Amino acid sequence: MFCCLILFQSCFEIVEQILLKADGSGTFQFVLNLSKSKTKLNSISKLKTINGHDVPSKWEIENKMQQIEKAMTKTVGVSGVKSSIDFDNYIATINCNFVKLPQLNAALKNVSKIDGGNVAGLDKVYSYDAATKTFERQNKFGLKNYYKKVSNADKEVFTTAGYTSIFKFENAIETSSNKDATISPSKKAIMLKQSALDIITEKKSIENKIKLSN
Amino acid sequence: MIKKIIVSTFLLASFAISNAQNLLNKIPNNTAGVIKYAAENFTKNTTLQKLDTYSFVKKDFFKMLHMDSLTSLKSLGINFDKDVYQYFSMQDTSLTFVTLLNLTNAEQFLKVIKANFNSIGKLEKKNGFSFYSADADTYFGWTNDVAMIVNTSYQNKKNYYDYQYGNSDTAVAATAVVEVATDVTTIYAPTAVEVVSTQKQPKPKNGKGKKPVVKSNTAKIQALKKAKRLKEERQRFVADSLETVKRDLWYQQQDMIAKKYQYGVAEKIMNTAFNGSTASIQNEIKYKKIIDPTAHVSVWLNNETLMSQYNNFFALGRYYGMGSYYGYGRKTEYQKDTSANFNSAVNVYFEKDKMRMEQKTFSTDAELTKLGNAVMDSKQNASMLNYVNADNIGYLSMSVNTEAMANYYYIVIKKYLNNNAYVNEYSDAVNLYVDLLQILIDEKGIADLTPGNYLFVMHDLKNRLVSYTDYEYDKEYNKKEVKKTKNELTPNFTYIMETRKDAFMQRVMNLPLKYAKKEGWNYTAKNGYNELIFKEGELPISSLYFMVKDGKGIITTSKEVIENTLSGKGFTTDEETKNAILNHNYSLKINTKKVLEKLGPELSTNASKKVNDYLLQNFGDVKMESNVKDGIIQSTTTINIKGEHTNSFEFLFDMMDAINNIMEKEKQEDEKKIN
Repeated sequence: MFCCLILFQSCFEIVEQILLKADGSGTFQFVLNLSKSKTKLNSISKLKTINGHDVPSKWEIENKMQQIEKAMTKTVGVSGVKSSIDFDNYIATINCNFVKLPQLNAALKNVSKIDGGNVAGLDKVYSYDAATKTFERQNKFGLKNYYKKVSNADKEVFTTAGYTSIFKFENAIETSSNKDATISPSKKAIMLKQSALDIITEKKSIENKIKLSN
Repeated sequence: MIKKIIVSTFLLASFAISNAQNLLNKIPNNTAGVIKYAAENFTKNTTLQKLDTYSFVKKDFFKMLHMDSLTSLKSLGINFDKDVYQYFSMQDTSLTFVTLLNLTNAEQFLKVIKANFNSIGKLEKKNGFSFYSADADTYFGWTNDVAMIVNTSYQNKKNYYDYQYGNSDTAVAATAVVEVATDVTTIYAPTAVEVVSTQKQPKPKNGKGKKPVVKSNTAKIQALKKAKRLKEERQRFVADSLETVKRDLWYQQQDMIAKKYQYGVAEKIMNTAFNGSTASIQNEIKYKKIIDPTAHVSVWLNNETLMSQYNNFFALGRYYGMGSYYGYGRKTEYQKDTSANFNSAVNVYFEKDKMRMEQKTFSTDAELTKLGNAVMDSKQNASMLNYVNADNIGYLSMSVNTEAMANYYYIVIKKYLNNNAYVNEYSDAVNLYVDLLQILIDEKGIADLTPGNYLFVMHDLKNRLVSYTDYEYDKEYNKKEVKKTKNELTPNFTYIMETRKDAFMQRVMNLPLKYAKKEGWNYTAKNGYNELIFKEGELPISSLYFMVKDGKGIITTSKEVIENTLSGKGFTTDEETKNAILNHNYSLKINTKKVLEKLGPELSTNASKKVNDYLLQNFGDVKMESNVKDGIIQSTTTINIKGEHTNSFEFLFDMMDAINNIMEKEKQEDEKKIN
């Protein structure tokens, strides 16, 4: 019982970063950092299954990363896709450039289709209205019902997990709808840190509507 | 489910009293195992009223029995004042588990049965007892005073694929299946497909129509091919459907046959118990010698019968084909004894401050008893004590005579092979081969390499600093990778094996040095020992040290142990531990308090922390000691308890109740958070 409790207390952090230029193009980075749990993950990687879930091999993880990279690369308007995975520290990173945000959304949708998924709301994750100079981050991807169904051991994984988003702009930020987000002194960057559990249970939101100055 | 089984088992355990009807005389002497719940001994400890107060008993056990929470355990009609027995056997090719209990009120007992099986059960009057078929596997039988529950499973169900290969045993069933299959053919008959001739069409008399005719032929050929493909697909579909229906019907028929046998077995067992006389286990020396009537619970196992029945399970019925793959297949040559007629028993005592389990093992074969005792004729090397630190988390000491063990195994191997299907035809050759092995193998040499003294000590669970990658952000939220450190729990342990072949063991230890660079191991020779360093985060330990000195091969995570050994020093251990290790072949101790204290900070949820706190306050040390007493191999395991409990039996219920309540509360709080 105790061994299971300890094995499942893996801690992870998601970092999502967008640098948006005034013309609507920009760069995107997504980081999954499991470094804090590397010893436990090394132990888990020697198992075939844990708590009824299959443990993927390094080859399978690398293959999945390649599929993600391929799915993003084939999206029109998305370029410079680079993925990397550091198995010493268990950090996975994906970077890309995009011409317009709908094309980044399309890339995310293509990624979701890899395993035949059809995640709702991926068309509108990021949007930018050049006329009103408004950037929006939406989240239609609810995990609350899924979380209710998972076992206690699986729930443990989310107890200490975190999410960070950083959005940077060429223009200054005038307003931000999410009260938990903090704006940098130059007003050109905004950061939001939330606990994964709060997001899943919908106590906190990662959505944000950011109005930029002219 | 496990919890329910545990609760059911304990609740069926009876409590005290005089004039108890002896149910042991209803248990046949060829049984593979018997469990006894001694009522009288239990009643001294716990009352039914107390058990009624546990919320999880009301919630789970009563729910399972379809009873409302206002009902008491006394209302089950079961006499909890008299002993309860359970036994298992393989009678008439059925694996059977029987429960024997006394009743206070047969009407109430029937009411409980009906509440559970009302929709499918069937009540019959048999010769002097009532008989209730709850389902194909479960049967109840009772008189005014005694009830039997028989769970049985027929083991000779035929395999469908034997039928496919024309096994004559299955011919009757095959006929029925074919009849049904004919109907299925009609149902799935393919629709008529227009037949198009592939012969060349006659040329038209005027050449004008030539081209369109060719086109028409091509189209017809395509249509023909398509029709053929469709026909083949339909035929395949029909064949698959037929196969599925045939297989399902086959197994339905096998289930019906099994049900008939199972009914017969249950009726026969009950009839014998209620009306006949049984050659009972109660007078058998193999039972009496190792079962203690003063124990609260006793479990008796005949290893020989158990192993034979386990092997026969795979030699019969659906498993027959699988068994034959592994050499079991001959139905008339079931697996026989491989366990040297060893009988084992565990007597459990729920004492005030501890739960004690006494395990006894002996063979009715004098020669094997002698050999078994020779294996245990060994004493732990006193210098091993230098490696047991006083405040250790736990240890396991083992001392056996490896030379005697090697000799013992020749007999066991011979016995195993001589009773193995196919191999037993060549028993003379087998015996010759094993005897040759005995000549070739140097048992004394084995004993010199590893005389049989081993020790594993978990010195501590320590914290170590492990680095990890994190991110810091400047005031403009530019991300920067930083290395941070955190504490992780790491085991600090030592494993020691005694040897009289130091030089050989040294060579084994040094062998990887030669290949370390090539294989990428960080394995280096130090001054008097070798060190294997692991990449950070690769394992919960940082280094392993290897050393051979003074007749010991040592593997440890502790530098202190290595330094102590090099300088001829050692830990000082307490007298109790010293006696336990030196006076027993096996000795184990777990300092539960230390384990829980060390694990506590690692736990993150409120529920796991509360469970940990509860165990910390109530769960004591665990000890096990084993050696030969009175010619019998005996082990004593004790689980100490703390806290406010009347005795260790109530402690088990208190613990289950407390953990259940913590988990329930956590679940409710969790739901509140989500909603």
